[in-house]
Amino acid sequence: MRSAEASAEFVSFVGAHRQDLMRTAALLCAGDEQFAEDVVQTTLTKLYLAWPRVRRADSRLAYARASLTNVFIDECRRAHRRRETPTAELHDGSEALVPAHDRELRAVVLAALDALGPRQRAVVVLRHWHDLDVVETARILGCSTGTVKSQNARALATLRAALGPLDRLLVAGEAR
Amino acid sequence: MSDPSDPSDPSGVTEALRTVADRDRPVPDVDDDLARARAAARRRMSRRLQAVTVAAALVAVAGVGIATSRGHAPGSGPDVASPGHRASTGASTGASAAAKTAVGTVQPVQLVDATFHATPYTFDLTPRGWVVQSQNPTAVTIAPADGSAGDDPDVFVGKLVILFDREPTSGTEVQQGGRTYWIDGDSGYTTISTRTRPGEPVGVVRVQYPDNTGWTRAAMLAFLGSVHVGPGASPGLG
Repeated sequence: MRSAEASAEFVSFVGAHRQDLMRTAALLCAGDEQFAEDVVQTTLTKLYLAWPRVRRADSRLAYARASLTNVFIDECRRAHRRRETPTAELHDGSEALVPAHDRELRAVVLAALDALGPRQRAVVVLRHWHDLDVVETARILGCSTGTVKSQNARALATLRAALGPLDRLLVAGEAR
Repeated sequence: MSDPSDPSDPSGVTEALRTVADRDRPVPDVDDDLARARAAARRRMSRRLQAVTVAAALVAVAGVGIATSRGHAPGSGPDVASPGHRASTGASTGASAAAKTAVGTVQPVQLVDATFHATPYTFDLTPRGWVVQSQNPTAVTIAPADGSAGDDPDVFVGKLVILFDREPTSGTEVQQGGRTYWIDGDSGYTTISTRTRPGEPVGVVRVQYPDNTGWTRAAMLAFLGSVHVGPGASPGLG
């Protein structure tokens, strides 16, 4: 395969799906947008290097999401993850446009996600965001289906406990 | 949680996740992603070439050790096949086997004034005793016809590799035939680079060759100078 052709396909893929991958990464990283961007960049580079395999996949996006999940877990495993530590939160102005109620809601969900371990978060994202079944989730994470089930049950219990105020917030939002 | 009445999201988790996932984000330039990926590919290629070079050096050292144990004078060189008289067009004269009898003597490669094609590359000169092993828009691999360097096109030990890329040139500058060449090398391999001709795809064509297989610098300058890069060539990732 010619590299120019591969590059063109890669550019097309990134243009179509980068935002999707960024949404997934933001969930995996519990809202740490900079970490999420790092994970997406690393994933895209890995995809480019393995492009012949990517293009043979039944679904390139599914392949990319699986790769993204594994990059995230690998990054979390690093004892000394070399990431730049921001000295201040970056504000792009978009938050100012979000209603206060939504910001509060988001903060609750972020805290709930942050309370999960990386693999539990990955299970939640794969099962409940990407709607994958237990078998496919287990395949991506390289573990047994039993592990996925138990991780999912524990994660949901943690989320339920943390998201206790969520119903109240949603009701408040609907009432406005 | 958020919407227990939704049958597709009985626990409301999906709706909760949406509050984090869906937000306005700046859209980075795809070219930046491509540039990062290409740089990674170049680093990977560089690491592979370095590994090949180290492997070649180890093979050469092992070869010297074997030759010495067989009674050769130290420093007489590894037991490598010298180039024979089989041109890359495939015509064999059996000289390769004869060359092997001259253990420790590496004959200079002879260049014949004959064109051969390794599309999209064309060579005005043909090295006797060497054959094209693989060709693609990015590179051509040329190996000794006697098979002494193996037949795996992904292994470059003991072979010439002609690459087209857009990496900057480096090394000692040499002028010849109105063109500038850059010569660099270590660990038993030499790399010579030159810019492509006007009208050819813009970039650098370079050859990496093992120092112990009869290629002199003059011969390689002449050989590289005979390369024409066709329109189908594409710059390598590394």
